[in-house]
Amino acid sequence: MSGSRTRREDPGRRDTVVTGLGVIAPNGIGADVFWKSTQEGISVLDRITREGCEELPLKVGGEVRDLDPGTMVEDRFLVQTDRFTHFAMAAADLALADARLGRADYEDSPFDVGVVTASGSGGGEFGQRELQELWGKSSRFVGPYQSIAWFYAASTGQISIRGGFKGPCGVVCSDEAGGLDAFAHAAGAISRGTDAVVVGSAEAPLAPYSVVCQLGYEDLSTSDDPTRAYRPFTSDARGFVPAEGGAMLVVEENAAALRRGARPRARVAGHAATFTGPGRWQDSREGLARAIRGALAQAGCAPQEVDVVFADAVGTPEADRAEALAIVDALGDHGRRVPVTAPKTGIGRAYCGGPVLDVAAAVLAMEHGLVPPTPNVFDVCHDIDVVTGNARRATLRTALVLSRGLMGSNSALVLRAADPD
Amino acid sequence: MSDALTPQELATLMRKNAGIAVEPAQLAENLDSRFDAYGLDSLGLLGIVAALENHRGASMPADAEKCATPREFLALVNNTLTKSGA
Repeated sequence: MSGSRTRREDPGRRDTVVTGLGVIAPNGIGADVFWKSTQEGISVLDRITREGCEELPLKVGGEVRDLDPGTMVEDRFLVQTDRFTHFAMAAADLALADARLGRADYEDSPFDVGVVTASGSGGGEFGQRELQELWGKSSRFVGPYQSIAWFYAASTGQISIRGGFKGPCGVVCSDEAGGLDAFAHAAGAISRGTDAVVVGSAEAPLAPYSVVCQLGYEDLSTSDDPTRAYRPFTSDARGFVPAEGGAMLVVEENAAALRRGARPRARVAGHAATFTGPGRWQDSREGLARAIRGALAQAGCAPQEVDVVFADAVGTPEADRAEALAIVDALGDHGRRVPVTAPKTGIGRAYCGGPVLDVAAAVLAMEHGLVPPTPNVFDVCHDIDVVTGNARRATLRTALVLSRGLMGSNSALVLRAADPD
Repeated sequence: MSDALTPQELATLMRKNAGIAVEPAQLAENLDSRFDAYGLDSLGLLGIVAALENHRGASMPADAEKCATPREFLALVNNTLTKSGA
């Protein structure tokens, strides 16, 4: 992962490129619908309607309503796995189809394809159902699939088994930023010889037990007004709203992708991560700035080359201030001028799935030459150029995606537009 | 004495507890086809054994979840069900 000049000098490099996008988001199933909603700045935040959540203090979220998992996932997985795995499997299928990577491409070389996901909470809905059997009846009524369905690694395992992928597999168990760290793991596998990795994250935190677990988060917005519940970078910022869903991508070694006739969509050019402690948003300024500098250095990218920033956008005054300052700390004066966007204000924060949706949006933004806007945000009170209202046309060669987690992780990922044909 | 478990009931248990869709008639005609050929893994069979125990109120033999085929499974559990008086 390095600058284009270096790459030409070193034919042995193994660059990681994106060749397929699979999106399961509150604002659309599939990359096309997701992008249409995202670039139009449509907000789908709404009252949470899931059964059992009606009386809880969390009122607004981003629900995936346009997917009947049974249409994309076989019955056995509906019974044996949690909703977060249904989402991940459906997203992986979409990504593989988008990349035109089929069994014929790897059935003779299954060890060349790996899977990496990130997971913040595992399968809460499945776990709640089985634990209710435990306390309501007895241990004899807990189904054996509980042993694997709730687990953080379930999506990685099921995707690899279902697809017949035997390459390096992993799961990043972390807070939100883990979604970006998964790409670093995938790129690492590719640099060590793997040809392709199915990578990303999907989460399903909008079930009663999972929601109750989140009620302790100080930064959770309990506003009941979908237009005001999640408004980062404004003086009205009052926290974030959670979302379900996420995205899976196919990333491949550049030459391997070209060999099989696939079209590189973007290059995963640099990543770095730091840790500054849970709830210490003020300290995240330094940590995030350091992550940005690290990702840029790995990408061989100067600060002024960054054409768009996909912000983390936690939505509390302290966290937003730290992020705005970190962008300027790391990018200098350019940090005040570069377009900054946070499309997640229209769909909510899907924990580890959130930054992966931003990666998908960044790839699409570079392809379309369009910075999508930040829904529900129009009165920015920080010294950065947040794109509000309508999408902004721009030539985008380099995108910087940022993510911080409630538990203290800070990550930055640099994406470069694919080299022209 | 309890009724014997039929191949049809086994097919229903496979669907309900493991999400494995198998036509009852097909299962009945192919009792020697292996469970794994239907996509039923050991956790799935374990769940079926537990459901059967809960429903029939009888303990199944310890090796029930290790059976490889429906014929083997039906013989073992029916030996228990039809003798236990449950």
